[in-house]
Order: sequence, then structure tokens, then C-alpha cells
Amino acid sequence: MNPFEKIFNYQILSRLDEADSIALTTHERSWLKTMLEHPASDDAFAAGTLSKLRDLLRNEDSIDSRAYIIQKAKSRERQVYHPLLRPLRRMIQEGSGIRLTTRLKHGGVQANQNGLPVKLEYNMVKREWYLLWYNARGLMSSKLQHIVSAKPLPLPPERFEDLRSRAFALLEERRTHAVIEIVREYNAELSRILYAFSCFDKTVSYDENLDLYQIRVSCLADESEFLLSKIRFLGRRVRIVEGEQLRRRMRESAAWTLARYEGTPDSQPAPQPPGDAGSAS
Amino acid sequence: MARESFDKEVQFLRMLALAGGAYSRQQFADRLGISVHTYDKTLRYIKDMRTALSSEAAEDLAEGLRYNHYESADPLLLFLFRSKSLKDSESVRLAVLIGLMQGEAMTAKELLDACSDSMPSDYACPDEKTVRGDLKYLEEVGVIRRMDGGRPYRYRADIDLIDRLADEELLDLYDYVDVMANTQVPAVQGYLLRDTLKKALTRRGYGPETFDVHLYKYHYHTRILDEAHLYTIFEAIREHRKLTFLYLSPKKGKNYASKNTNPLFERETEGRVETALPLRVVYDHQYGRWYLIGHSPRLGTMKYRLEGITQIEMGEAVDAETFGRRLEAVEQELEHSWVTDSHRRVKIRVRFYNPGRAGANFVRERVEAQGQWGVLTDESDTTFLYEIEVNGIYEIKPWLRSFGSSCEVLEPAWLRRELIAEWKEIQAYYEPVRENL
Repeated sequence: MNPFEKIFNYQILSRLDEADSIALTTHERSWLKTMLEHPASDDAFAAGTLSKLRDLLRNEDSIDSRAYIIQKAKSRERQVYHPLLRPLRRMIQEGSGIRLTTRLKHGGVQANQNGLPVKLEYNMVKREWYLLWYNARGLMSSKLQHIVSAKPLPLPPERFEDLRSRAFALLEERRTHAVIEIVREYNAELSRILYAFSCFDKTVSYDENLDLYQIRVSCLADESEFLLSKIRFLGRRVRIVEGEQLRRRMRESAAWTLARYEGTPDSQPAPQPPGDAGSAS
Repeated sequence: MARESFDKEVQFLRMLALAGGAYSRQQFADRLGISVHTYDKTLRYIKDMRTALSSEAAEDLAEGLRYNHYESADPLLLFLFRSKSLKDSESVRLAVLIGLMQGEAMTAKELLDACSDSMPSDYACPDEKTVRGDLKYLEEVGVIRRMDGGRPYRYRADIDLIDRLADEELLDLYDYVDVMANTQVPAVQGYLLRDTLKKALTRRGYGPETFDVHLYKYHYHTRILDEAHLYTIFEAIREHRKLTFLYLSPKKGKNYASKNTNPLFERETEGRVETALPLRVVYDHQYGRWYLIGHSPRLGTMKYRLEGITQIEMGEAVDAETFGRRLEAVEQELEHSWVTDSHRRVKIRVRFYNPGRAGANFVRERVEAQGQWGVLTDESDTTFLYEIEVNGIYEIKPWLRSFGSSCEVLEPAWLRRELIAEWKEIQAYYEPVRENL
């Protein structure tokens, strides 16, 4: 199916918008029919809706060409959908508060925590859903898998606005940035390097005289372990030039790794340094 | 849009997205092999498109397509697929026709009459032949459906999928489409459907707060640009036909020494014409990149990055038996590829170190989730072993290195030595600068 049909043209689309008309193509329906074959669809709809959708799409063809795609180096798909997405999205959209009970890492639960649900976030690397929410302790991120129960709490609109702006201010505050330089002799691998950083909020600068590329990455402080794992992934090709904390971590990484190798000329595990475990996904 | 100009547009958007902000107009144009004038024109066209599609003012695109994950969930690059050029009169006419068929089924004659009332005054009314042509097209792409019953045929917009759903059901559908478009491949049709459903929900009174509830962290947004080629490639695979294209290899080539060459956007003259029988497409989750796997009679199995493919043309077909044989061979070759590497198979043994502190074992979780077909065995309280047979080490090495000191390669010895050497160099990057005496 050619995605370059003229029906998708932006002028048609904006004219349809003005007239409140809708054009739905075979392309879209076939894609949907194919995606409804995924087991995730069981968690996505109220009883009855799924069979209704399948019935509405019974005359469409699935996209057979999916069989031509081989996916490589994909993280195991822990979860695509989670049953809690439906109720939680409604609380977020309606501006309601939340009362959460979550499971703790070492067993036990933390019951009845009140807060404001902010966003539902899917981590593409861990392939798992999280709820971003705000409460007195700050901005929290809880795996949906660890949520035992979530109930809406009524919230006056001004209180909602207040909490919401505080939550977003906190997100901004938590932002940190790093400048990563492409080691010049690897400029020929620019494409690979830029692709690797394309999953971050970033800007690139280029100094023509020095033939030097720098990438300024902006991310939340708690994402720096993931950023580090990307930098280690690229190895000698890149070097952190701004971001003392990250530079220190890379120095440690290198020292600890070399210590591992030096410590074990044979196959005995080395007793030692803390290691680059991080929560890097 | 002409084919070459389309190729340019894909390259243009890719450059905006990947290297956004890095280049001046002149540098940008040079790297794409276009004039500054064409650069300005293309940028203006893209801006017009963005303005037409979004109520918000378009930010300065020349700064690059920056993606702030917490601000918007709309895929910025989708508008590539909305850029097919069309005469004004045609877009007006098609929109009017679709509008007329929203609620009721109409015949060509009735539409023709209604058109004269509905067309804006600066556009001429279409003749019957044009309307019939439009109906044929709209039926082909599934926007309208011919109703049961004999001549004269009646047509209606095929929007049952939306109209038959209650509000809550439509909202669930929007969410499902949003999640699947963002997490699965291919995605473009899903993003287009997401747009359509967003509009349908807005029509039913849902506000903007409805649409930005989900976020996708560490998403490779540019992956949808490369989907532009999938349609042609899939058609060729289905029909066992060869493809000919101009390939601009993004890889480091023989002209490694030529300093100012940006491999991402080489000029056309630097590309080479390739012909290959397409067999499969590989999506690499590590970089969000696509590859075409094909067979060339002269060179055997070939792998092309989709971002380097331009001016793609369908060629002659091969017989089913030949195609089947080639496909089988390639599938065998790729079975042990970390991504697409088909070098000699190597057995790699690695020791991973569990994190020292208590709590979740992130190292183990990550190896289990990403280690593909490798096998894990417990070794001690603090370590476990990972063994894999893989084609070549080039593609798995970055992954192993990304674990830092939690990973120690045991075999092969030469890979172990390579990693030690690399870590020494990396360490030198971060040492305090000392003056040489």
C-alpha cells in the first residue's frame, strides 16, 4: 500500500478539517486489522468493542508484507499494553487526582498514596509502561506492573492547575545536559552516531574550520545512566566534553573495566569494583 | 512531486531531524547537493505544510526538528507523507466530494449537481467525467464505498469504523492506534489513522488534553522516513522483481580520506547504481534504522541501508524457484546475525557481573531482554555467563561494550584484547590534559 496517495495530501486534509469531514482509507483499516491480531488488543478495549471492530474490518485484508520484515536486536517485548492504561488515561485527561497502592521492590506494599497522575510513559528500550505522577515527595515514576490499585480522587480545577504546573516545573528542573563530541577521525561514521543519539532531545553543532561535530543532549538527570550506556556503546567514536558528572562516570567505567580485565587473566571472576550496573535499560 | 524531488525531501527531513541546527544554509545545501535557492524553496514548502496542518505557529525549522518528548506526542516527520503535490482545484474538488458523501449515499449525477452549490466560487465546477474519475479513485483508496443496488450506483464515505463506535470506544481505539503506531513496525499507516481518529474525537467534543497522555521514551522518530521506501520494496519482493537504485553508501568507504565528505548526504555523483533482487527488510532496534537485504548475481548477498537508497525503480522478475532459493540462503545467513552481519560465525563467551547493591538485578534483566538467542548460565553469586554464536563480532561488540565494567569478554581472546585496547583509549579521553615535556 502506497503511503504516498494523493488522498493524504495536506491541502485535502486541511480542507476536510474545515468542513468537518472525514476520509478513512483502506490503508488505515488494513493496518488496524493487522494490529488487532496482536495479543495486546485483549487489554485495550472494553468487552464487546474488540469483536465489534473485527466485524467492522471483516472485509479488509491484513498487511501480508509484515512477513518481509525481520526485526533485529529488539528488547524482549515485556508488555505492549497494560490493563491499567485505560482507567489511568481517563484520570489524566479528566484532571482528576489519584490514590495509588504500589508494590515495593522488596515485597510489601505502599498503600493509599495521593497525588496527581501526569503522563503514561512507555520505555522503548525496556518495553514497559510507567505512570509519571506527582505527590508531596516529588515526581514519581511507577511501573504499571507494580501498581496494585489506582482510584480517582476528585480535585478542584485550581488545585489541579497548581499541581500540574508544579509537576512540569519539576520536570524542567530535573533536566540536565551534556555535550558530546564526535572524535574527528570518526566523522565518516557521523550517520551511525547521529542515529544513535536521535532518541534524545538534542541539537547538533558543526564547526567547519575544525571539522568538528558536537551534540548537545538534554535529558532528565535519572536518564544519565542510559545516556552513558549509549556513549559506551559507541566506544571510541565519541567523547563527553561537557557534563562533569558524566565525564567522571566514564572515567570510572574505563578504570573499573580495565581492572576487571587485569584482575582475571584466567577464567576466575574478579573480586571487585561496584560496576556499571545502573538502571540503564 | 517528482521522484527526485521526493528523494531530496526525505534526505532534507532526515538531515533536519538528525543533524538539526548544525549547518548554515550554504552548508546544508552543499551536503544535499542542492542550491541554496532549492534549500529555501524546500524549507518554505515544508513550513507551509506544517502551518496548514497545525494550528500552532511553526517554529523555525532551520533550527532543526527538535523533539521535546514532554511537549508533544505528534510524530513530526509524518508530514513527509502528506507532501504529494496536488493542484489546488483537485484538492478543493476531492474535499467537496468527500464532504457531500459523509452522511448520505449519492449518485454521480447528484454529486455533480451538488458540486455546483458547494464549490468555492473561484473554482470551476467539474464535469461529469471528472467526477466519475474522482469517484473511481476514492473507491480504490477505500474512502468511499459503492452501496448495494443497481445503476445508477450510489456512493457513501466509508466511515463506519468511526460512526459505529460510541465515544468511549473511539477513545480506546485512538489509544490502541497510538500505542501500536509508536511501538510496532510498519507505523506510517497507523500514524495517519491516529490523525484521522484525533479529528473524529475532536468533532465529538474531546479537547486537546485528550491526546497527549502517552509518551514514548527513547523513540527513534526518524524510522518513519525510511518507511517511505517500504511500499516499493514490498511490491518488488511480492512479485520477485529486481530493484535498481542509486545508492549513497552512508558507510565509511574507500574515500575515507576525503575530509569534508559528510557520508550521510553525499552528492548524487558519489553514489553508485545498484541492481539487486530484494528478499527481506531488516529493522535494527539499536539505531532505529532499516536495511534492504538483496541478492546481486555479481556480489552475492547485499545489505543496503534504506536511508542511502534513492531513485528506486522496479526491474525484471526472476522465477519463483530462483527467488525461493535466494531467500532460503539469506534467511540461513541472517539467522545468526546480531543485525545483518554475515561474517564467519564466532562463539563468544562473556562474564557479566551482577550489580553490587541489593535490589533489582538490572544487568541480568537487560541481558535477558536484549541478548537475543544467547544462553545464560549462573556462575557465582556475583556473576553469570553468557554464550552466543554470532556472525562476526562487529555488531555485538557495541552492545557488550555498553555494559561497561559489568561485562568481561572471556572468548575469543582476540576480542578480549580488542576491548582492552579500546577501553584504554577511552580512558585516555578522560584523563586530565598533561603537557608533553
